[in-house]
Amino acid sequence: MEAQGYVVFLFPSVSYALKAEKILKAAGIAHKLIPVPRHISSDCGVCLRITEDRQQDVEEELRGRVEWDKVALL
Amino acid sequence: MTATIDARGLDCPQPVIMAKKACEENEEVIVLVDNEMAVENIRRLALKMACGFSVTEKEGGLREITLVQTGAIDKTLEGRGPSAEEDELSCVAAGGKKETGPLVVILSDNHMGRGDDVLGDILIRSFVHTLLQLKPRPDTIICYNSGVKLAVKDSAVLDDLQELAKNGVDILVCGTCVSYFELGDQVAAGHISNMYDIAETMAGAGRLLRP
Repeated sequence: MEAQGYVVFLFPSVSYALKAEKILKAAGIAHKLIPVPRHISSDCGVCLRITEDRQQDVEEELRGRVEWDKVALL
Repeated sequence: MTATIDARGLDCPQPVIMAKKACEENEEVIVLVDNEMAVENIRRLALKMACGFSVTEKEGGLREITLVQTGAIDKTLEGRGPSAEEDELSCVAAGGKKETGPLVVILSDNHMGRGDDVLGDILIRSFVHTLLQLKPRPDTIICYNSGVKLAVKDSAVLDDLQELAKNGVDILVCGTCVSYFELGDQVAAGHISNMYDIAETMAGAGRLLRP
């Protein structure tokens, strides 16, 4: 990948991640559902990867509609 | 009749298969092998076929095995399908020899696992994404049936497949399937292939990965 910084949004469970994915898709914000990176958690799970520059936009879209646990650097 | 089989340099299970065939057609068979593993495997075969077995070690690592029909037939082998026999011909690999041959990944579905398609969609996306980090990297990915849908323009894993292709992974997309799903102009990763190449690739694989 190019030198694009990514952050990942972590959720309480898979269903939250799916809901968030739907929201971002409708909002037209580029995202990718990926397995949670091992350096963040060893539990199985998926998270939403987005480019760093859109973190604020994503938080705005999700706020009040779906809860997220935290945002971490990829 | 005595037959001599030269099985030197041949990989398991070749020596055993050749020895077995020769035993079926000859009263006495001499098998030449160059490793202990083959000796052991043929010893087991002899037991199963109730053949007399003896082995002499010769120069340069050569082993000469003599198998003699005693006329007794192993009744348990009669009437069983070829695959049952092949299971029994399976080799004792000394120290877990690693198979050579390409690592081939089969994407036969655009879902992973059965029981829930929403979950299956998440899982296959995760799986394809992690292929990039696999060591050793897959040599080939084969997509057929709904698996071809992973290689089309709006696929969630298109970028992963394209990245894999950039890194030298050969991606085969079944042409019959593409045509059946009417996705002809939408394939965006890999190249269209046919059942001959697909079957050949699967047959020649060292390992087959099926998520």
